[in-house]
Amino acid sequence: MSVAVKSAIDDGVIEELRAIIGDDDRVLPGISSRVNRTRVPAPFPVHRWAEYMPDVAVLPRTTEEVSEVVKLANRLRIPVVPRAGGTGLSDGAVPLRGGICVDVKLMNAIKEIDLVDRTVTVGPGINMLKLNEALRPHGVFYPDDPASYPCSLVGGRIGTGGWSLLGARFGHTRDLVISMQVVLPTGEVAQIGDGGGRKLRKSSTGLTLKQLFTGHQGTLGITTEATLELFPRPEVEFSAFFAFDEYTKAWRTTGALTRSGLATLAGVVLFDEWKLRYLRRDDEAYIPQPESVRAVIAVAMYGTRAEVEPASKRVLEIGRADGGKYLGDEISQGDWASRHDRYATPLHGRSLDGQAVPMSWHCEDAALNYSVLPQVREEWHAIVARYRERYGIFDDWGMFAYTNAAHKPWGDYLVEIDVGIWEQRLDDENWDAWVRCKREISEVSLKYGGSITACHGATRAGDAELVPTEMGSAWPVVLAIKRALDPNNVMNPGKQRLDEAYE
Amino acid sequence: MSIFRLGEQRPPEPQRIDDGVVMRFEHVYEVDPDKMRTFPQQDMPAWDTRRIVDARWDHLDWMHDHFADAVLPAGLESETMMPEEMPSETPGREEER
Repeated sequence: MSVAVKSAIDDGVIEELRAIIGDDDRVLPGISSRVNRTRVPAPFPVHRWAEYMPDVAVLPRTTEEVSEVVKLANRLRIPVVPRAGGTGLSDGAVPLRGGICVDVKLMNAIKEIDLVDRTVTVGPGINMLKLNEALRPHGVFYPDDPASYPCSLVGGRIGTGGWSLLGARFGHTRDLVISMQVVLPTGEVAQIGDGGGRKLRKSSTGLTLKQLFTGHQGTLGITTEATLELFPRPEVEFSAFFAFDEYTKAWRTTGALTRSGLATLAGVVLFDEWKLRYLRRDDEAYIPQPESVRAVIAVAMYGTRAEVEPASKRVLEIGRADGGKYLGDEISQGDWASRHDRYATPLHGRSLDGQAVPMSWHCEDAALNYSVLPQVREEWHAIVARYRERYGIFDDWGMFAYTNAAHKPWGDYLVEIDVGIWEQRLDDENWDAWVRCKREISEVSLKYGGSITACHGATRAGDAELVPTEMGSAWPVVLAIKRALDPNNVMNPGKQRLDEAYE
Repeated sequence: MSIFRLGEQRPPEPQRIDDGVVMRFEHVYEVDPDKMRTFPQQDMPAWDTRRIVDARWDHLDWMHDHFADAVLPAGLESETMMPEEMPSETPGREEER
């Protein structure tokens, strides 16, 4: 079988792309355009940058243009890598085999706001913050709220299967997308939703395909239009932060809050001791707190005043029932507001001798059940400590656990360990060490019945090789779907071990 | 109209907060310069620090306003800090947007 394994772009391909796009300014074979579409914010093997560059970037404006570009790529067996904001914390948008980068940033139109059936239809290149600015005069909002809220785009959120800070109340990306238009790997265009209706939330016709096309990491197609859910704009927000002198009390209180039955609960976040230690040395808000503060819980609610006001009293009771101390309105309100924009992280860590050095931010995520959080936390920190000690270029920035399930916050958590990496010191040996570190962290997640990623995607070495293990008996089904939809393996090839579909 | 005087832009001497943190402006914490020998801290005039801090507060206010019409405070002070350690501008009332 002939599949796309290596880029084959020449001047003839560039000319065909220009004919499709019809605007030379939107076909970009120049070095700067390609360099800028290589990496994402996650730590990157900078010493091997050139190996990950696309051969050309295109900026389509319409579904038809995307379709024709993909048809060309499929005909010539050229890899295609979709890219939206390029803000992913794994490597979904990083080309592994060159090819055509389809950058959807210009497909950023709001096509329809339907205040009767409560939907908004957009192009994949629009940012949620900008979308909500346009929605505000209508009294509605789109509550997909990642740490990259000011900079990530709707298309990337769909491709990665994004998680939202407010997901316990409003749902995550896959719950918020009602239907979408997708260009398949062969270039055909399909309307994907629940059944056939563009604005229907529930149907039993045919197969439910929407989930399949949410979170595939750009391996099954390119979303070119999405119809999204609209919620009433909240009247009030309430956030409360509680401090604890030991992690287990904070963990128990987190469980109690998530089981409270309060319908306006939007999210609960648990900070561990390592996170507090990091914030004390390299961030600001917790520096004046006494040393007895070793774990923190953040909780937030959104809704009508009639709901949130009485519920806030209950949150204060639960938060303080097991030794929690309220951190005051300033931290509760200010720190919560900063949670919507975590890409403003300090980006410096510590070398082994305690010196502050520039580091990039790796956020290793997993989905884990509530019951295993304390043990996983110990094992993850022990792994990072071992690699830090040996290589001196890593730093443990602590862990968060966030409520993970849409509308059902009690059972499982998005768990993150933030690791600083001194990129300037990366070479093959240090990068291999980092990949091994990542793999060990992921193996712990699997050992405890978890998933190696809750929202970032298993698209980077260290995670990718474990995808078949985690999928288990479903892995042949995954391979059959990939092979059926992408017969020539052109769509983001090399990711998540899906090459096995062609062996 | 304020007059720019270079001499007034030199940050005040740092006050030690703990082993690794110093403070030159109220509630603005900095990594101890002794921990920044490998990558020295750049010199910043006072106005630039004030600009960044003010912008931070503007940003947080803007974020609140972006997600809801009003912020509901608990109306309680910090239970972890002594009164003299409390920030000087603790919001005490609900702010309608």
